[in-house]
Amino acid sequence: MVLVIGSTGTGKSSLLRLINGLVPHHTGGILAGDITVDGISTQLVRPGELAHLVGIVGQNPAQGFVTDIVEEELAFGMETLNIPPDVMRKRVEEVLDLLALAHLRNRAISTLSGGEQQRVAIGSALVMNPKVLVLDEPTSALDPIAAEEVLSILHRLVHDLSLTVVIAEHRLERVIGFADRIIHIAGDGSAEINLPEEILKRSDIAPPIVHLARALGLSDVGLSVRDVRRMTEEIRNSGKDIAAPKLQLGDISISTQNLSLTYGKKRALNNVTTQIYQGEIVALMGRNGAGKSSLLTTLVGINKQSSGSSKICGFESSDLKGQVRRERVGFIPQEPSDLLYGQSVQGECQQADKDCQISPGTTFALLQRIVPSINPETHPRDLSEGQRLALALAIILSAQPQVLILDEPTRGLDYQSKALLVGLLKNFAKELNRSVLIATHDVELVAELCDRVIFLAEGEVVADGPTLDILLSSPAFAPQVAKVMAPRQWLTVSDVLRAVAE
Amino acid sequence: MKTLHPLTWWIWSLLIVGAVISANNSWLAGASVAGATLLVWRYAPDAPWARSFWFSLKIGALILIIRTIVGILIGVPIPGTKIFELPILPLPDWLAGIRIGGVITQERLLSSIHEGLIIVAVISLFGAAVSLTSPHKLLRVTPIVIYEFGVATVIATSALPNLVQSISRIRRARLLRGDEKPSWRSIALPLLEDSLSRSLELAAAMDARGYGVSRKRSRYRPILWRGTDSVVVLTAALILTFTLVALN
Repeated sequence: MVLVIGSTGTGKSSLLRLINGLVPHHTGGILAGDITVDGISTQLVRPGELAHLVGIVGQNPAQGFVTDIVEEELAFGMETLNIPPDVMRKRVEEVLDLLALAHLRNRAISTLSGGEQQRVAIGSALVMNPKVLVLDEPTSALDPIAAEEVLSILHRLVHDLSLTVVIAEHRLERVIGFADRIIHIAGDGSAEINLPEEILKRSDIAPPIVHLARALGLSDVGLSVRDVRRMTEEIRNSGKDIAAPKLQLGDISISTQNLSLTYGKKRALNNVTTQIYQGEIVALMGRNGAGKSSLLTTLVGINKQSSGSSKICGFESSDLKGQVRRERVGFIPQEPSDLLYGQSVQGECQQADKDCQISPGTTFALLQRIVPSINPETHPRDLSEGQRLALALAIILSAQPQVLILDEPTRGLDYQSKALLVGLLKNFAKELNRSVLIATHDVELVAELCDRVIFLAEGEVVADGPTLDILLSSPAFAPQVAKVMAPRQWLTVSDVLRAVAE
Repeated sequence: MKTLHPLTWWIWSLLIVGAVISANNSWLAGASVAGATLLVWRYAPDAPWARSFWFSLKIGALILIIRTIVGILIGVPIPGTKIFELPILPLPDWLAGIRIGGVITQERLLSSIHEGLIIVAVISLFGAAVSLTSPHKLLRVTPIVIYEFGVATVIATSALPNLVQSISRIRRARLLRGDEKPSWRSIALPLLEDSLSRSLELAAAMDARGYGVSRKRSRYRPILWRGTDSVVVLTAALILTFTLVALN
């Protein structure tokens, strides 16, 4: 299993798509050099002719589905290659069993959860008996449990079927334990392939345990929780408990009372009652389809068919409109690009200045504080994932909202952009005494950033408490450092450093 | 109801479109819109593409209104019962024969509505076919021989449903920016990029999975042409024959 790492925009996806010839056959561009897969040069054949050798699963599997039903989707590739029906049936059955999809075989793909869709996408690549399986960020949309499922299946395939798996991922903490080798793509496009230990010794892109090992000055970088645990026994015994930071809570900024929401027959939210205070950063967690996004959209008042009450700074959510909404609540949806419609970064910022009636240039100045290197002439579509989020944030923050709500902000972000986001949000909440609510699957982000976690399941609040308690109560949601340091209650590298220093 | 063959509704709607145009009768046009509405309401699956029909109805209504207004304002006067009179806009000599304003007669109003209705019927029948058939299924029955054509068809037929889905997402995001009445342009731009990139993604996925490589293609679970399919198509064919024979 080979892992491809690199900052956003360095060309990880391009590298993956080179393997089956989608680049350059489908995208255009000039290719120098050559790639051979099983002795066949991708220059000479169309991607379709490699279909039996290379299975590819894109970043967003939902957009790549060609049929509606799970079984048909699995069979599609074989049908196009004219494989006899009896062989097809046998292979479909095998894959259904292998990926634990048998009970979903007749379901419509659009009704499946994110993790199940990902498994179907992997399955439809696997039925072709490929020699290489290529996956682009297979876990970025998945909750920790679903991600674990997908990765352990891949691990088994590598070991049982000696499949070659090439995987690009930003969240190294999830995949690092499975990787045999790493391809590191630097900012200038140069690539290096080596053993994980060698790459991670020097690379600036590294999972939290590697940062921990570096910060503690350990001689070796461990790749698994087990390795690092062995090396840090002394620290676990000698470190002091750190006092939990005292929270200065202001007034209530968001409050919900028995909030319920149904889509048709499905109940998305069920009697959600909670309060969020000024100066607080709250994480909203839960499995895919638990109702996180529904709660957020109801709070900002775009889901009007809810019952119960939800208030933001004393205003009913459903009454929020235009300028009042802009000044009360800023919302960054899962696709920040939905918010953008200008022709350039500059135009986007000017529009925001005009909307908020602030002096021209304020938004752009704000943006430059977040990402100094941004070119004002760039089209928003050409920005990297992190830059686009920064632009959306700058626009939303220029209205100086009382509450900031983000839906899955770290999807597709590299560690560097994530650190930037953490700093920015901390600043916003603590210095200005505003509230931040984030729906996320990213436990490392929650550990770094959030004061409190609200845990949703099937539209109900099942847990609500300080980050430390909630994250440590379930192993699936514990961040890497906490797993290394268990039973001590340290969540992040800086927690450990403080504990050692005291 | 067992699902019909994906081509059934397309053939049906093409035949009915033929009937509506050949009959040139607003009652038949109105009836076909009503029939399509009933069918979609009753049989359309609970899927994203099913909303395309209601979208096509809205577009149809818009066209009808514009067509009627333009029709009664500009054009050749038709004699008949006078409803009301508008002042005639003076036009330069070289535009002789075209008149803006003037006497609005009942006949002129009716003929404008009549022409509008035929257009609405054609659009809504197309919308109904999109709504009633999954674009993915349609792809499965496209013969491999016309590979390029097959890809183009699927992209074209999946573009409308994608468009409808994207519109609602982008409008919501726009509301959040405090934009209560988002301008047409501010929606159209991200919309176009969104649906285009989705359709390209689908094409890439099909390519990566070997679509069109082999001239022959096996069937995992063949899509059968059932009796119901024949009934639906025959009914439409009968209506077309009737309009061709009886009304001309």
